[in-house]
Amino acid sequence: MLVIENLHAEIDGKPILKGLSLSVNAGEVHAIMGPNGAGKSTLGYVLGGRPGYEVTEGSITFGGQDLLALAPNERAAAGLFLGFQYPVEIPGVSNVQFLREALNAQRASRDEKALSGAEFLKLAREEARKLDMDAEMLKRPVNVGFSGGEKKRNEMVQMGIVDPKFAILDETDSGLDIDALRIVGDGINRIMRAPHKAVLLITHYQRLLDYVQPDFVHVLADGRITRSGGAELAHQLEREGYAEIAA
Amino acid sequence: MPLLDLPSTRAEAWRWADLGALSAAAALAPIARAGHEPHFLDLPGARLLFVDGLLDEAHSALDRVTLAHLTGGEHALGGRATGIGWSLRLDADAAADPVQVVHVATGGENHLPAEIVLADNAVAQVVETFVGAGWSNRATRIELGRSARLGRAVRLIQEGGFTSLRDEAQLGTGASLVSTFLGAGTAGTRIDGAVIVGESGYAEVGGALLTAGEQRQECAVRVRHAEPNGQSHQLWRAVAADTSVASLAAAVEVARHAQKTDGEQSLRGLLLQRTATVNLKPELEIFADDVKCAHGATVGELDNRALFYMQSRGIPRPRAQALLTRAFVADALDRIGNEVVRDAFAADADAWLERTL
Repeated sequence: MLVIENLHAEIDGKPILKGLSLSVNAGEVHAIMGPNGAGKSTLGYVLGGRPGYEVTEGSITFGGQDLLALAPNERAAAGLFLGFQYPVEIPGVSNVQFLREALNAQRASRDEKALSGAEFLKLAREEARKLDMDAEMLKRPVNVGFSGGEKKRNEMVQMGIVDPKFAILDETDSGLDIDALRIVGDGINRIMRAPHKAVLLITHYQRLLDYVQPDFVHVLADGRITRSGGAELAHQLEREGYAEIAA
Repeated sequence: MPLLDLPSTRAEAWRWADLGALSAAAALAPIARAGHEPHFLDLPGARLLFVDGLLDEAHSALDRVTLAHLTGGEHALGGRATGIGWSLRLDADAAADPVQVVHVATGGENHLPAEIVLADNAVAQVVETFVGAGWSNRATRIELGRSARLGRAVRLIQEGGFTSLRDEAQLGTGASLVSTFLGAGTAGTRIDGAVIVGESGYAEVGGALLTAGEQRQECAVRVRHAEPNGQSHQLWRAVAADTSVASLAAAVEVARHAQKTDGEQSLRGLLLQRTATVNLKPELEIFADDVKCAHGATVGELDNRALFYMQSRGIPRPRAQALLTRAFVADALDRIGNEVVRDAFAADADAWLERTL
């Protein structure tokens, strides 16, 4: 589904990713773990197509398509979802308007019919309910005044609404208390655990992996994947630390 | 006699004025008269159609409005609008249906005075729309009696030439004036205002100027609190694209005995390209000691993080830019109380975004 080969990327001329290769098949959940500064978030942003993150070498194909040739919105329409570590506040644009625009833009690019206001609202309320988010928050400006945990929950509501094929979730567990972590974990499993879908979890800690069992765990250090294994590798990392294992 | 005898841009109140544009607008050759019908909104009440400053009686319904000989006052531009103009005078406690005035310019220059005089507790709404091309120059005198309320909304959507407005308003005790302007055409504009707020009076003067191409639009509004306990809000937004220039100058003046005045100024500019210019000049002159006057002035660009966030959810970049820009001007236009009018202004802003982004 997603094939990354020998990826090199830099920000402001500074190399961050230095030959990263990774292959994710449909039905799989992969976790990328690693110390601070290893390039975890950069990988997420490069996949999402954030301006300023320059790919200097290598390739990324998604569903057979050259992902790097697509604009960020085209990547979304192709089924890619990037869950942000720090979701952005957008004053003056309501959650409902933002998400309806997003969903209908994606649908339009796939030649699907736009959802009416009422149809969309029903869908959005349902997703909010499943993630235990107050439906009133849908009317509020995007992420404005939301706590860290509410922002992450809002990311999951958005993911449920756009229903992507592939989700890259960057530190989705940070800022969550234990109850919220369970709700978000359940949400990821419910929305993304399907034979035709896949997930790339970028995380610093093992705790989210108690709720979302990864099929593969990779250690990212200094811009490359230095080690790969099954779920047990995450536990080993938690016990022994990155310094030992990443080296 | 010279065509125009105007102040120099060396005078502070005129420093950003595009005075050359006035002569150019006045010299515009006649154009075909634009259709006026779409510019009237679906509202009851008086409808006035002025073509080049002359009332088109066949397409107007005066209701409570009359024509009268009026003077434009002392102002350099407003003073030229002396002659027959329109007058809305309401007796105490009267409430009129909205008054709509559409001004069509078809080249050359035209000048028109107006007055809105509301006696105690009277309530009125006036919506004005400027279309066509030419130099349209207006002087409007507003006088509000005790607790009278006026809502005024002006949209400047001329496609060529220049629109210059001079408003002079005097608010009685407890009177309220809410004036909202939208510049979303392709002509040059200058909005000149002087508002005097009486005891416990309330004045909101603001709006949005959207400029593109080589266009220049500006406002220069001065609110003077002459008596205690008044409140004023000047909330202006400027969005500038290409090599255009938008200038906002808002002054608040608090007289020595106008204690407990609450004045707010919020001037914000958004540059859609770095070749565009936004000038902001908030001005406070406070002679009383027990007042609250908040002011803020900022110029910036669209938030790149927000643009990427929206794109990553599937929204194409131009649409994301439009949503963020629309959100930027929203609080200036949301102050319009009447929903039909507010929607029309929003549609003008959307049309501008559609054209520009």
